[in-house]
Amino acid sequence: MGVLYLVSLLLGIICMLLLDHRFRLFFWRDPKAAAIVTAVGVLFLLAWDLAGIGLGIFLRGEGTIATGLLIAPELPIEEPVFLLFLVLCTMVLYTGARRLLDRIPSRQAERERENA
Amino acid sequence: MTYLWLALAFIAAAVIAGVIFARRGGNAGEHGKHWKAVGLAFAALAVLTAVFDSVMIGMELFHYDASHILGLKIGLAPVEDFAYPLAGVVALPGLWIWLTRKRQGYGSRDGEPSLKGLLPQALLASRPVSWINTAYPFAAAMILTTREIDWVLIVGTFYFLIPYNLAMYGINDVFDYESDLKNPRKGGIEGALLQPRLHRPMLWLAAITNVPFLLVLAFTGGPAVWISLTVSAFAVAAYSVAGLRFKERPVLDSLTSSTHFVSPAVVGLALAGADVTPGLLILLVAFFLWGMAAHAFGAVQDIEPDRQACIGSIATVIGARRTVRLAVVLWLVAGLAMLATPWPGPLAAIIAVPYIANCAPYWNVTDSTAARTNVAWRRFIWLNYGSGFLVTLILILQWSITS
Repeated sequence: MGVLYLVSLLLGIICMLLLDHRFRLFFWRDPKAAAIVTAVGVLFLLAWDLAGIGLGIFLRGEGTIATGLLIAPELPIEEPVFLLFLVLCTMVLYTGARRLLDRIPSRQAERERENA
Repeated sequence: MTYLWLALAFIAAAVIAGVIFARRGGNAGEHGKHWKAVGLAFAALAVLTAVFDSVMIGMELFHYDASHILGLKIGLAPVEDFAYPLAGVVALPGLWIWLTRKRQGYGSRDGEPSLKGLLPQALLASRPVSWINTAYPFAAAMILTTREIDWVLIVGTFYFLIPYNLAMYGINDVFDYESDLKNPRKGGIEGALLQPRLHRPMLWLAAITNVPFLLVLAFTGGPAVWISLTVSAFAVAAYSVAGLRFKERPVLDSLTSSTHFVSPAVVGLALAGADVTPGLLILLVAFFLWGMAAHAFGAVQDIEPDRQACIGSIATVIGARRTVRLAVVLWLVAGLAMLATPWPGPLAAIIAVPYIANCAPYWNVTDSTAARTNVAWRRFIWLNYGSGFLVTLILILQWSITS
C-alpha cells in the first residue's frame, strides 16, 4: 500500500492554499463563496467520474504508489482529493490571472502620471 | 468515442453555466478581463495536465478502456482528459464572480468582516498538545479489534485527532469567553481567548468539520455506532453550550469530560464490532474513572476564577481539598480495577501511580492555595504522554499474546 500519490496530492493542496493565503485570492478573499465553488466543482467532476466509471471508460490502475483503498467500484480514495486539488489549482490560477490583469492598466496609469 | 461524447456533454453543461454566471456576475466592463483570465488559467492548466496526467498514467494510477477513447494522445494523456480542466475553468470562475458580485473592484481588498486569524485561532483553541488523547483511544480500540488498517480506521482517527477537538474546544471557548477573560491561565498551552467576532465563524467551522465525518462513520456502522457517536457528539456540545452547560453542574461536569475521552474508544469498538466481555467493561470503567479524576483535579486550580465568574464546578462545590482527595481515590480505584482485567491488563495498574504521586502532595490543599495545583496540572499534561507510552507497550504485548 503506497501513500506517495495521496501525500503528493495533499502537499499540492497545501501549496495552493499557501498561494491563496499569501495573495488573498480565493478562500482568504471570500471563504463562503470559495467553499461553495469548491463543493460544486468537486461534486460536478465526481459525477463525471462516476458517469465514466458507469460507462466502463475509466479503470483504476494497480499503481504501487496508490493506497488501493476504494470508496466505490473503480473509484479510489485519492480521486476526490485529486479533484479538490484540481479545483483549487483552477481557482488560484484564475483569480491570480485576474489580479495580474487588473494590475496592468493601473501600472500604465501610474507611469503616465509620473511622466506628466 | 464514448469518452468524447461524455466529455462533450459535461463541457456543454459547464459552458452554459459558465456563460450565464459570468453574464450575471460581472459588470460589462469586466467581461473581457474575465475571459482573458479564464484563457490564461486554461493555458497553464493544459500544460500541467499534459505533464502530470502523463505521469499519473505512467505510474499506472488509472487507465482507459481503449475501445472508448479516440486514441489521440499528448504525452500519455488522451486528448479527452483535457476536458476536465476545460470544464472546470469555464464554469467555476463564472460561479465565483457571480457569488462575489457584490464586491467592487476586483483587485482591491476591502473591509469585509474578516475571518482573519480564524484558522490559527481554531488550531490554538483545539489544544494540539491534547489531540492525541482522543485519537489514540479510538485508534487503539479499533485496531486491536479488527487487527487491520482500513479506511474507516484512518478516517475515524483523523476525525478524533482534529475535527473532534476543534468542536470540543472551539465550542467551549466560544461559550467560556466571559470566564476566560478573568483567567490569566488561558491563552497558551491550555487554551486561548477567542475574540467575539470569531465566535460565530468558530461554531460554523466546528459544524462543517464534524458533521461530514459523523455521517460517514454512522453510515459504515449499525445501531451501536449510531448510539456511541450520538453520545460522543452530545457530550462535546452539552459540556459548554449555553442552556446545558454541563461543565457548570458538579459531578455531571466530570462525567461529561470523561465521556469526551472514553467515547472515542467506545466508537472504535462499535465500528470494529467488538465482543463485550467483562474484561473490556472493567477496562472502560477504569478509563472512565481516570478521566473523571483528571477533570476534577483540573478544576481545582480554577476554583477562584470560577467563583468570581459565578461558575460552578465539582471543585467549587465540594472544595479544593475534597476534590483533590476524590481525584486521588478515583485514580486509585481505576488502578485497582485494572488488576481485575485479563493479562496483560493488570500491568496497566501501575499507570495510576504517577498520577497519584503527582496529585497527592496537594492532599491538604485549601481553596486559597488551590491555584498552586496548576504546577501539577502542567505536569499532568506531559504525564499523559508517558502513560500513552506505557499503554502502547501493554497493547503491543496484548497483540503478540493473542496473535
